[in-house]
Amino acid sequence: MSWRADLLAVWAVVVRNALMASRNVFFFFELLFWPIVGVISIGLMTRFLGITPAQASFVLIGTIALSVVNVCQLEVAYAVLMDVWSKSIKHQFLAPIGIRHLTVGSWLVGMVRGGALFTLLAGLAWWAFDFRVFAAGPRAVAVFLLGCFLNAWIVGVFVCALITLFGNRAEAFAWASVNLVLVLAGIYYPVSVLPAPAAAFARAIPLTYFLDAYRSHFGFASEFAAPIATGLALSVVYAVVAHLAFYAAVQRARRTGLLLKMSE
Amino acid sequence: MPSPAPTLAIDAREVAKTFRSGWFRPRLTDALRGVTLQVPRGSIVGLLGPNGAGKTTLLSILATLLIPDRGTARVLGLDVVRDSMALRRRLNMASGRPSFLWSLRVSEIIAFYGRLYGLSGVALRVRVDKLIEQYELKPYRRVPYSELSTGLKQRVALAKSLVNDPELLFLDEPTLGLDPDVSVRVRAHIAALRRERGMTIVLTTHYMREAEELCDEVAFIKAGRILDAGTPDALKRRIGLGDVIALRLEPAPPAWLGEAPGVLRCATADGWTRCTVDDAEKRLPDLLRQLFAEGVTVRNVRVREPELEEVFVELAR
Repeated sequence: MSWRADLLAVWAVVVRNALMASRNVFFFFELLFWPIVGVISIGLMTRFLGITPAQASFVLIGTIALSVVNVCQLEVAYAVLMDVWSKSIKHQFLAPIGIRHLTVGSWLVGMVRGGALFTLLAGLAWWAFDFRVFAAGPRAVAVFLLGCFLNAWIVGVFVCALITLFGNRAEAFAWASVNLVLVLAGIYYPVSVLPAPAAAFARAIPLTYFLDAYRSHFGFASEFAAPIATGLALSVVYAVVAHLAFYAAVQRARRTGLLLKMSE
Repeated sequence: MPSPAPTLAIDAREVAKTFRSGWFRPRLTDALRGVTLQVPRGSIVGLLGPNGAGKTTLLSILATLLIPDRGTARVLGLDVVRDSMALRRRLNMASGRPSFLWSLRVSEIIAFYGRLYGLSGVALRVRVDKLIEQYELKPYRRVPYSELSTGLKQRVALAKSLVNDPELLFLDEPTLGLDPDVSVRVRAHIAALRRERGMTIVLTTHYMREAEELCDEVAFIKAGRILDAGTPDALKRRIGLGDVIALRLEPAPPAWLGEAPGVLRCATADGWTRCTVDDAEKRLPDLLRQLFAEGVTVRNVRVREPELEEVFVELAR
């Protein structure tokens, strides 16, 4: 496949996802309603508990990261989910499209939505709780967002694989998977407070390292030696594994006939 | 020197597919049990058979949507498993139960698939406009898919299936659930595709008249096997259904009529004597001559060739 054809296929997915996102009310709720409710309720809770501004920033960084990851990973999962809902998945896989086009195209839209959400929540956190997300500097923010987006991509691709493997029954993974990250990656607390086996799992999640690196700009000592490099390395490994899993799931669906069943 | 294009668009041999359902006690369903099918380039071939016969399974394997368990299938000279990506660029498919993303508008659906097939810019716009024009979708080009009627959805599916100007088109029950006037138009479009572009078309249908009208050849599938294949005329001859000569005679038909040369059977009901003969054109003059010679008055004669539907009923028994 030529570069031009590759880019066109990715662009096709970008346009499709963007059009769908602009026309469906549940996309609006995902993008604005729940994340804003999350930041406001967590922010108010930090006031009620009377924790220090530093501790409040720790929690708010986690809340914002979770929202960004969630919105972006859902968009990646929509690469398959929307076609499953509309029963058009066989048309998608009848066309000369690779899974990379689907995941990259939807990830690009996810990054735009995630970036917009990050800016919005950063503004809200500043206005409501005097927490300046951008105080870490543009480079730190860019690396942090990259980490969030990479994690979202990985989770979203795994969700695509599960849906392709199990059909509609696996739909719940799209919304549930990010909560597993929430428990383990140190969204609201440092990884050091986790029991040893859970901490081992946490160290296997790339987001853990990107959160750690970003929080270090707000006065929290880093728990890891080279968090960004570790996070990036883990992300690359998981991205490859997730794509192999998705590819295997599509091949299996072609063998079992699930691809057709999901279109009936 | 490039190798010449193969004369067969489809060369499938002993293709078999078994579906499993259930995790703990899997139930096995043999959808195809060794199907062999050859389709010449530029022809329209119909796959006929009762529900669950394996028509859609065969179509899906040939369109690379399903991987066969056994057998080989070469489509446009390419292997459906090994060369599936290259093959997808050259074929397309539309089904009688179309479904696309609910919020996308007609033009956006066609454009989305056009991009997947490598079209962009002016070329994409021209192709989308042409297909919208061709399938009379102009008034609906900005209407979301979910708001279209069944007939319009079907036309969108057909338009989408031509976006890459395929060499081979699969149509899975293309006129299912359409109003008769729309069905006629869709059939005319299908016939035009072969006539004007030389496109090879493989379609499944439950409507025998559709198959008879459109197809150069038909293949009857039942329980995962091809029972018979050939031109509609050849099939009728092979099955031995014969032509029916209906005669209104006065007085009553003579006893020898049922045993005359070429007459397969005779029956009288409602004042009509219906004789099934091997070839009406050959037998009718002799029959009439003998009836006149015996002083039997022939008040009326009707000749009817057997329909594909009767072949279907005979084979599906």
